Amino acid sequence: MPIYLHFIYSFFATIGFAIVFNVPKKSLFYGGFCGAVGWTLYTFLFQNSIETVSANFIASLAVALLGEIFARIDKKPVTAFVIPGIIPLVPGYGIYRTMLNLLQDNLQTGIELGLTTLFSSGAIAIGIIVVSSVARIFKTTLKRI
Amino acid sequence: MSKVDDIQKKQILRLALYAGEIMLKSGAETYRVEDTITRICQSRGLNHISAFVTPTVIMVSDERFDGYSFIKRIKFRHTDISKISLINDFSRDFINTEMEISKGLKTLKSIDVYNLYSFSFRVVWAGLASGMFALLFGGSFSDFVAAFFISMGAMIIFQKLETLSETSFLANAAAGFVIGVLAFTLRLLHLGDSLDMIIVGSIMPLLPGVALTNGIRDFISGDLLSGISRVFEAALTAISIAVGVGAALKILLLLGGAV
Repeated sequence: MPIYLHFIYSFFATIGFAIVFNVPKKSLFYGGFCGAVGWTLYTFLFQNSIETVSANFIASLAVALLGEIFARIDKKPVTAFVIPGIIPLVPGYGIYRTMLNLLQDNLQTGIELGLTTLFSSGAIAIGIIVVSSVARIFKTTLKRI
Repeated sequence: MSKVDDIQKKQILRLALYAGEIMLKSGAETYRVEDTITRICQSRGLNHISAFVTPTVIMVSDERFDGYSFIKRIKFRHTDISKISLINDFSRDFINTEMEISKGLKTLKSIDVYNLYSFSFRVVWAGLASGMFALLFGGSFSDFVAAFFISMGAMIIFQKLETLSETSFLANAAAGFVIGVLAFTLRLLHLGDSLDMIIVGSIMPLLPGVALTNGIRDFISGDLLSGISRVFEAALTAISIAVGVGAALKILLLLGGAV
């Protein structure tokens, strides 16, 4: 599948879930953009043989960075963009497959999948936290000067 | 800041607790809820406030010996970004101006009942998003259509059952079961190409991916109890969906259908 199709599909998928999560109309486009950039970057990295966890980390850095920028533009909390933005990345399907495999007695596959899922969402969480911490440090130092 | 009397103190605590309750019910991060509560209290001269928040309870207390404490039990949590955003604006307003407490409570009440999009609108968009996910994972156009309709049905069933039963376990399992049966049927009728893609797309709105990531975020920022509860809640949700879908597929395969 060409990369621009990934962008379009993930854009609308993100907007759809953003509406399920009651994101205000004005912020929908920004949220969708965050999600699309995150997913496209992830796919691009993954296709260029970077493993899932690192690709997730880099993509979530991009999402969180965009979120910080949009939060300044749109005057909304960063969460309003980061939560929709990580929707395509978060391994919901991974947890489901983990549980399905465990329930079907495929313990080996289940545990492998489970660990990948856990590390992926850990990577996404760390990506978001790194950006928000750096932004906070940046803000306080700017104020001091 | 002038000295606050007892009645005022109670009212401020109650207002802070209410704001925190709405935030937590809308799925805000733990540290953000604690932060908002403490700031609202500090802005009116209550400087010795401790707030302790987990996904199921909020405790706000005056740290001193004869202080007040309030506890609020939280039963249901959903993700509602618009409410988080509104409370954020409200607390900024409240802190920076001399807003009356009664007026603040009135504003909070209107935020509490605020509903941005109607349920049917959200269901349709959940369907679209699910279809898009089916495409994103490599499904065909007919998978898109199948996931679109199935996930809408699943969302409605989930919503109805969740309001009827106290927990979301049954609702998730039932929605998963319906998804499994419908996906299998549509596949048999050749209205979809790949069973996997249809199921993946359709269960997307139910899956707790964001919840899991938020839980780990709580862990990293030091809210250990919240982290544990959220991660395990996500795991339980995933188990219940897997039970539903798995049971449906198993039964249908035993009945002799082949994909």
